[in-house]
Amino acid sequence: MENTSTNGVLTHLSLLEVRALSRGGPEPQRSRVRELRGEAEELRGVRDQLEAEIRARKRLQELRSSADPPAGELLPLMRRHSDLKQRLHVHHLIGGFDAVRTRQGRAVCVFVQTAYEGVFLETFNMELELKPRVQIGRHNIPPFIPLQSLAEQSHLQTDAGAFLSMLSQHLNAFVGRRRQLQLVQEQHRSVEVMESNLLCSVLVLLFTAPPEKTALLCTLKYADLGSCLPGQVHLDCEDSRLPESPEWRSCCDTLRKTPLHRALAGMKKSRMIL
Amino acid sequence: MGLFIVVSYYSGTAEGSKEHPQSTVLISDWSICLQPGTRKTMNDSSKLLLQRIVRRIPVQMLKTTLDKWGRLTAEQRQAIDFTQSKWALTQKLQSFCEENEVTLTRLAELEMIHVIENPNQGMWYTFQLLDPEDDAQSLELSEFKQQFKCHLSELLRQVSVKIKKHTDEAVWIRIAWGGSFSKPNHLKPTYVVHHLQTPYFFVRNLTSKLKPLLSQALTLATRHQGVKEANLSGRNLASIRDLLMRQYQHVFPTKYPSPHDEEDQPVLNQHIEKEQGHVATHRRRMAREVFGDGTLPQLQSAVYKLDTKFKDPSNRTMTEREDTFKCVVKFSSTNLLESLRSCASSGIASAPVTPLLSSIPLKGRNYFVVTDNTPGPSSQRH
Repeated sequence: MENTSTNGVLTHLSLLEVRALSRGGPEPQRSRVRELRGEAEELRGVRDQLEAEIRARKRLQELRSSADPPAGELLPLMRRHSDLKQRLHVHHLIGGFDAVRTRQGRAVCVFVQTAYEGVFLETFNMELELKPRVQIGRHNIPPFIPLQSLAEQSHLQTDAGAFLSMLSQHLNAFVGRRRQLQLVQEQHRSVEVMESNLLCSVLVLLFTAPPEKTALLCTLKYADLGSCLPGQVHLDCEDSRLPESPEWRSCCDTLRKTPLHRALAGMKKSRMIL
Repeated sequence: MGLFIVVSYYSGTAEGSKEHPQSTVLISDWSICLQPGTRKTMNDSSKLLLQRIVRRIPVQMLKTTLDKWGRLTAEQRQAIDFTQSKWALTQKLQSFCEENEVTLTRLAELEMIHVIENPNQGMWYTFQLLDPEDDAQSLELSEFKQQFKCHLSELLRQVSVKIKKHTDEAVWIRIAWGGSFSKPNHLKPTYVVHHLQTPYFFVRNLTSKLKPLLSQALTLATRHQGVKEANLSGRNLASIRDLLMRQYQHVFPTKYPSPHDEEDQPVLNQHIEKEQGHVATHRRRMAREVFGDGTLPQLQSAVYKLDTKFKDPSNRTMTEREDTFKCVVKFSSTNLLESLRSCASSGIASAPVTPLLSSIPLKGRNYFVVTDNTPGPSSQRH
């Protein structure tokens, strides 16, 4: 009996001794407590933040719903409108080409949109074969656009992007010239179109000048097929002094620098032609 | 004697490429001097041409054509009774033409007006101009007219040329050919249609003897360096022109579903539709991609001249022959492209459409020579 109790006491004492020696016991507990306290603080902070956000959003919603109903529809529409405008701008920046892979990736079909003065006109399509080398395939571009020379000039093999941008420029210019001619025929019936051609690269117009209804023949040559403006403007008249006069010279300049229908409208306004 | 000389001078040059107003004045002066009150009768060739023109033009169109021609006065036009027989009409017109002293070239204008309005008679053949020079793009109509007449009359002295520009930018040329000693024959004129700055021209009624002359004159006048046959022929001028100018509805693959694919086709059997539905849609789409959508240009035939070795394992005699088997296959239809498209979409022609058929719209030709050495059809037209 005494042995066990003595043993028990001794063992107990030795245990206590061991414990006292290894004093690290309460420390991790305390640091752990500190950690936990710190976490709790953080979480409280996050909670406060979230609560603040919720309050702010509620306020915004109240503001929105308190506004008039049409404006409530207007805002999302306006957002969508500006979103679309941005997309269109980006699309235009990257060259405005839509492309679709066809024939299991062996060819690419490219669409070239043409537009003049904000009005969309025709879409031209072209299939470019990629293997064995880049070649022009099926397309619906009219034969008076010189595709082969464009391909050679812009090195289609190495730089398809340059070829496409040149092609787009030519097509847009052609469509622009054609549209100008259409507008002239619609809006300025007093001006007679004597000669034109499919490519719209040569145009001969007959003007009637007011004082004595003198006839003037105006030849517009579009030497640069990538441009909507004529490179050369030439006036012919029975009275050879008339085209040399300063007013007519400035008219020639206007015709070289502004689109045709607007130049003619200007000339009509300033009473140069009927 | 003096009168005879004047007459031959008048008829020799007025039918040529240039008119001499002085000669017309001279002859009328003489005729007034010699026989006041009577008019000059038409010579035989003019009479024949007038007869032919009146015979060719249907009565309904004759009135409008005469109005457009503008060589008869209003009273004369009123005086014509269009319910009479053609022979009576011819006589009446002949007397009016004699009254107005209408020349042979003016009569030719009448024929030309009719042909421009109704071009779909006879067979049109296409030629392609090659290697344009640098200034071909800036060629003007007046330069072209002058150059063409000049070149052609250098090649053949006796030739009568008339050039007219139509509203759709087409330049129409009528050529009456003569020989070294014979005057131009106006009863068998050649018609040529060309759009400036395009590489094609269409010809009707040209003999093979005169083909090199016309080709050379046109090549020089349009500032190109060569010409070749384009192997496209047809009765309908607008159709072959639309085919080459790519003026029909093309179909290209897009990212977005096209309305046609969602079109309701009549469903005959639900089970068949479930199994075969997508295959049929795919076939229809491919047929539309190859041949086009909507109304297609009218071609009447496609000819394949085969010069290949006979290949049929069940027929040893023919297969063992050394030389090639020559044969000509001709497809005919009132509208060939529409029939081929419906063949492809209904599955009669195997899909994908064979290059032999798809070359017709792709390359714009309907005459092909197929040999064993022909490389795979390239997708480029030129």
